[in-house]
Amino acid sequence: MHELSIAAAILEQLEDAVRQSGYSGRVTRVELVIGVLSGVCADSLRFALGLLTDGTALAQTEFCIRQPQAECVCAQCGQRTPTGDVLLACPHCGSPQIAIQGGNDLVLESIELEDTP
Amino acid sequence: MKIVAAKKILKANDQLAAENRARFDAAGVLACNLVGSPGCGKTTLLEAVFPHIRPHCAPGVIEGDIAGSLDAQRIERLGVPVVQINTDGACHLDAAMVGAAAAGLDLNAIDLLVIENVGNLVCTAGFDLGEHVRVLVLSVAEGHDKPLKYPAIFQGSHALVVSKMDLVPHTDFSIEEVRAAMRRLAPEARVFELSARTGQGIEPFAQWLLEKRQAHGAA
Repeated sequence: MHELSIAAAILEQLEDAVRQSGYSGRVTRVELVIGVLSGVCADSLRFALGLLTDGTALAQTEFCIRQPQAECVCAQCGQRTPTGDVLLACPHCGSPQIAIQGGNDLVLESIELEDTP
Repeated sequence: MKIVAAKKILKANDQLAAENRARFDAAGVLACNLVGSPGCGKTTLLEAVFPHIRPHCAPGVIEGDIAGSLDAQRIERLGVPVVQINTDGACHLDAAMVGAAAAGLDLNAIDLLVIENVGNLVCTAGFDLGEHVRVLVLSVAEGHDKPLKYPAIFQGSHALVVSKMDLVPHTDFSIEEVRAAMRRLAPEARVFELSARTGQGIEPFAQWLLEKRQAHGAA
């Protein structure tokens, strides 16, 4: 349920970024990066963003969520395999000598605004 | 018109966390974010560990709970300075709450500040509080599959305390499964097996905390 506070943090950053840009057009699209291992559920986040933007200038904004995978890095065969899960062994050579890296990003990537007339 | 923001969503929290950390550093305090499920034994662990570390360093506690001050009362009974935060429903502490609570403690009289987070394995993972180390408590009764089911919280922890080890004979819990998962998720993290009830394994964990505190004070 921390998706609600994540959503609030996104909207705060969004407003800051738009203010700093000097543009005043409507925000049409926002791209977010939410890693698969970040502990944030994309569906809950969409729901929370909907709740918080309802009745505001951001009500029609499209929030696009990209979910990059983590990587399983094998110390035995050196293969790097994208994964959405925490694997127990390297999918290539079966070695348990692996490390799970990445997949925990939470990033506000880009904001698209209607060009001001 | 497209603005490339590329900003961390929790940047505001991260900034406040950095301010907290600077305050702790200035006062020579090692801050420890203590996380784990409700009932895993976080407060009980503190009750068991404090007698071991108090001859060498002065602890202080920030207690985070959704409601009430039961945990703070337990810490107070030990004569350890404590501040209670009630999150009023929120499932995790954030850096702003910790900053406000820390203002209620005399940091110069504390060497080790334990921030006991709200019991939760999911939401606490994303929020830096300004701590130097994160200690995760996993009790035997929760099962050995938790690292693979809640990877984010295990990934960022510096130590894993497997608590209630005295219950192992009554369960199918495999400490080897936990250690294997930790080697993948957090190879650098120390794993401690202990029981606050019997006192078994408390000493090595207390020693680790003292070493961390000493290394931090020397830095």
